[in-house]
Amino acid sequence: MKHIKVFKTTMIASVVMSGLSVSSASQAANWLMLQGTEPAAAAGRAKVWGFIQAQYQKDQSDAGPTPSGEGYIPPKLIGPNLNSQQQFNVNRARLGVRGIGMPLDSRVNYFLLAEFGNNGITAPGGGDAHLTDASITINTDATRIRAGLFKIPGPEETLQAIHVFDYINFSEVSNQLMLERFPQSVDTFQGATDTPDASMGQYSRALGAVRDVGVQLFDSFQSADWDHSYAVMLGNGNGLNFGDNDDNLDTYLYWSSEMQFGGKGPRAEGLKLFAWNHSGKRTNAYNKTQEQDRKRSGVGVKYLQKPFRATFEYMQGDGMIFQGQHRPTMVFNDEEADGYYVDFGYYIPNTNWELDLRIDSYTRGENFIHPVNATLNSAASDESTFDKTTIGAQYHINKKTRINMEYSDRSFESDTATVNAQLEGVGARMAVQLTHIF
Amino acid sequence: MKKFLMIMACLLSFSIQASPDSKPFAEKRIVLQISDPDPFKQTLVLNVANNLINHYGQDKVDIEIVAFGPGLRLLFRENANVDRIDGLTNSGVQFSACENTIKGMTKQLGHAPQLNPSAVHVSAGVVRIIDLVGEGYQLIKP
Repeated sequence: MKHIKVFKTTMIASVVMSGLSVSSASQAANWLMLQGTEPAAAAGRAKVWGFIQAQYQKDQSDAGPTPSGEGYIPPKLIGPNLNSQQQFNVNRARLGVRGIGMPLDSRVNYFLLAEFGNNGITAPGGGDAHLTDASITINTDATRIRAGLFKIPGPEETLQAIHVFDYINFSEVSNQLMLERFPQSVDTFQGATDTPDASMGQYSRALGAVRDVGVQLFDSFQSADWDHSYAVMLGNGNGLNFGDNDDNLDTYLYWSSEMQFGGKGPRAEGLKLFAWNHSGKRTNAYNKTQEQDRKRSGVGVKYLQKPFRATFEYMQGDGMIFQGQHRPTMVFNDEEADGYYVDFGYYIPNTNWELDLRIDSYTRGENFIHPVNATLNSAASDESTFDKTTIGAQYHINKKTRINMEYSDRSFESDTATVNAQLEGVGARMAVQLTHIF
Repeated sequence: MKKFLMIMACLLSFSIQASPDSKPFAEKRIVLQISDPDPFKQTLVLNVANNLINHYGQDKVDIEIVAFGPGLRLLFRENANVDRIDGLTNSGVQFSACENTIKGMTKQLGHAPQLNPSAVHVSAGVVRIIDLVGEGYQLIKP
């Protein structure tokens, strides 16, 4: 009888083992797993890592050709300071540590990362550093539970690790629809200026950096050649700010299915389909009695098999549509917006060069209120459209170091005359960036 | 039925016990030590074993990987390298797990660590290495 028991135990263990061996292989280009978990029994107590990005950007916009209402606005200036049309900048300098605190027990891992660069995270409020990630993941047989501050599950362009992003600047739809700004009651309207040297950054708090504090259930599982992942998250809806500022919680839903072609890590090859939904409310910083919906959703597909890469994403939003870095007072609106981008990449065989092309478009409901002349306000149906075509190249000095170069041709316009006058002058922008990961 | 199961258990036990005779045509006999907490060493020791097989041929080299101390994590059931361990096991590589380390880890964890079923338990990793060296194995610690 004892032998039968041993035999049964061995068989059960074998079956369980075979299941584990399949699931443990599903890391791939799976941002949920890459950012939220560690390789089981193969991660250190504390792995120090980070990256630095140094860049130069030049904007070729002008004040605009029309005789009234034109001027310099944020799209014509280089962020985060928005007081110049060209600058060298250390836009990201991140230092972090991740691992398994007790190496014998892979059920718990952690992720800690701080930003020391000059960007929309650190510049508002004049800070020099800001924590961007601080999370603990508990891995159970049923699911994985991640708690703390971390990236919200969403579009590929923002969920992916930024240090492997193929471009320097985001598409307009990601920049305006997904990078949430958090106005304070002290943040004021700044009209267009005659010269490009007035600071247009009117937000005093860090942008959300597509992160939130909350708890997320997620996991990944394999079925034949497909790797399926899900995430369900509940968060404060308050970006990088640790606490909540109202009683509203945001929900985040995410699903992806990826056919894996090979490789591992951020550059794993495969065909990934994904969809996501965010839903929340914000209390109006200028009128605490008013609350506004903030809803976002999207679908996309990414294909990567060297030498080719192609991505398509469509996103749409209801409520809380960003109206410009200089107009924080207008973000508590009930507008709608949507946009997309298509991206193509080509890795030139037997070289270290990569060529990139991205075409993106974004349309938002306009909500312009002229500070003096009400006849210049937006009509209810007015829209603004932001079209951008970016060509780029990347040269990989080694696996951890690369140079990005890109040139964006931009065509922005609006139904609202005053806004259109400002957008007409928006011209091309070029950028060069050196990234080193350590 | 009882006898059948006992015979099967004996055969199974025999099949996972490595000995110099398990590869009678081996011209090289090598023991690889993994006792380091650095996760990179796990990848390295598996790479070395794989390279040895590619170089000498599966039947011409007898490899045993002895894991003890922090290096025993390589043989944890959930280890991320489990597919590579399975592949090397199928190529005739033996993975030996130190019992002394298992006892120590059991105290820390409050339960015994679950090991890869391919792992063969040896009483002490260091003693196993000494014995193998005495039998003519070459010790390599990547």
